[in-house]
Amino acid sequence: MSRLRALLGLGLLVAGSRVPRIKSQTIACRSGPTWWGPQRLNSGGRWDSEVMASTVVKYLSQEEAQAVDQELFNEYQFSVDQLMELAGLSCATAIAKAYPPTSMSRSPPTVLVICGPGNNGGDGLVCARHLKLFGYEPTIYYPKRPNKPLFTALVTQCQKMDIPFLGEMPAEPMTIDELYELVVDAIFGFSFKGDVREPFHSILSVLKGLTVPIASIDIPSGAGIQKVGWGRLGPYPPDSCPHQV
Amino acid sequence: MSSAAGPDPSEAPEERHFLRALELQPPLADMGRAELSSNATTSLVQRRKQAWGRQSWLEQIWNAGPVCQRLAFPLPALSRKQRTVLVVCGPEQNGAVGLVCARHLRVFEYEPTIFYPTRSLDLLHRDLTTQCEKMDIPFLSYLPTEVQLINEAYGLVVDAVLGPGVEPGEVGGPCTRALATLKLLSIPLVSLDIPSGWDAETGSDSEDGLRPDVLVSLAAPKRCAGRFSGRHHFVAGRFVPDDVRRKFALRLPGYTGTDCVAAL
Repeated sequence: MSRLRALLGLGLLVAGSRVPRIKSQTIACRSGPTWWGPQRLNSGGRWDSEVMASTVVKYLSQEEAQAVDQELFNEYQFSVDQLMELAGLSCATAIAKAYPPTSMSRSPPTVLVICGPGNNGGDGLVCARHLKLFGYEPTIYYPKRPNKPLFTALVTQCQKMDIPFLGEMPAEPMTIDELYELVVDAIFGFSFKGDVREPFHSILSVLKGLTVPIASIDIPSGAGIQKVGWGRLGPYPPDSCPHQV
Repeated sequence: MSSAAGPDPSEAPEERHFLRALELQPPLADMGRAELSSNATTSLVQRRKQAWGRQSWLEQIWNAGPVCQRLAFPLPALSRKQRTVLVVCGPEQNGAVGLVCARHLRVFEYEPTIFYPTRSLDLLHRDLTTQCEKMDIPFLSYLPTEVQLINEAYGLVVDAVLGPGVEPGEVGGPCTRALATLKLLSIPLVSLDIPSGWDAETGSDSEDGLRPDVLVSLAAPKRCAGRFSGRHHFVAGRFVPDDVRRKFALRLPGYTGTDCVAAL
């Protein structure tokens, strides 16, 4: 499977309520086919390319994404919990649309969720919990955990739902390919800047070698949000890059 | 900015009220019943308080409410008037869920208006109110006592006034008067968790109380739901973990796909 097909950038995956109601021409705030842009789903998706092409969607710069977030927290008084729960739930819903359990080989389908050290990782924890409720069998790798009640609570919720946490990342892509049918990348989000530090540098190297599909939360981890045509998880032909400024 | 702090200890009593009433009243004859002892209730409250911020819990359960409404009153089939929804919110947890519901209804392109006469002072309620205000959801300053005015202005009313275990006397005059008006509605009524004013255990007052068209039970149906005689009964809030279900011997309808509501 080519890297392009394997890499399923899920773009600005937010529930509708996370973004203020903005009329047309701007952010697609529903988890539906409209924000996929030109990229066509190849694995189980049956969405019509005409539907996708007919909706004009704005892709945000990092600055714009951060400004939207600040507006929601400061003006609308949303809490991180609220938005994280809605975001994680809609991620799980999108994944279930893209990879319905009936289209997967195992029953329940096995999913590896890799959670990074910030809010993107928190989204991944919520996503894993809802994937479990939707009938998947998630496993989490969460090497760097913030010492904050929100994240501690999210871990507890997953543990109490019998979602296992790996003690270490499998070193070989083939190991992951054999055990899991899908990997969810919840490592870095839109506020990521600078160099990728360990252990995430090694993790991303392993992910580059996968043949099973990757679903990325918000942006493919390590991809420069401002740049067109490349990503650390693999090259994008410019017209398929999910992020165009 | 809102913090992700845990729930305020003063909010514990209403949670206990909710969970004490959390028994399964099966609509189908072959389902069993589960009773929550007070010890089990307390331990469940403790675990939930530790594990979940109230905000995210409310988002989960009330994301389901508008979905129920879409199932019962699908948007494309509705005229503009029918898309207008009056959400009546009490001052406690049921009302908070109503505020979240109104916000999601707006996102789903209904036109909600809120009547929230007795406002809670706690931070959660205040933030939920701000979110609705910022999304241009109007708040009525009074509710007409002439029910015909409500019938003409709205297509649908959501009853988010009283949850299980909250007595009408606890919520003040304006809410009580609002409930008296809602009893006379001729447009459909959707009740959150239990029809406001019904006894959560016995369903008494179901005869001369509110008669909702749709009941949305949160997490699991309450005992009084056995007396519900409206058109649609949904269970909403797909977040109950398996071990909680087993521990309390809850039997819930199967959710389909990614749905967060299931029709009973």
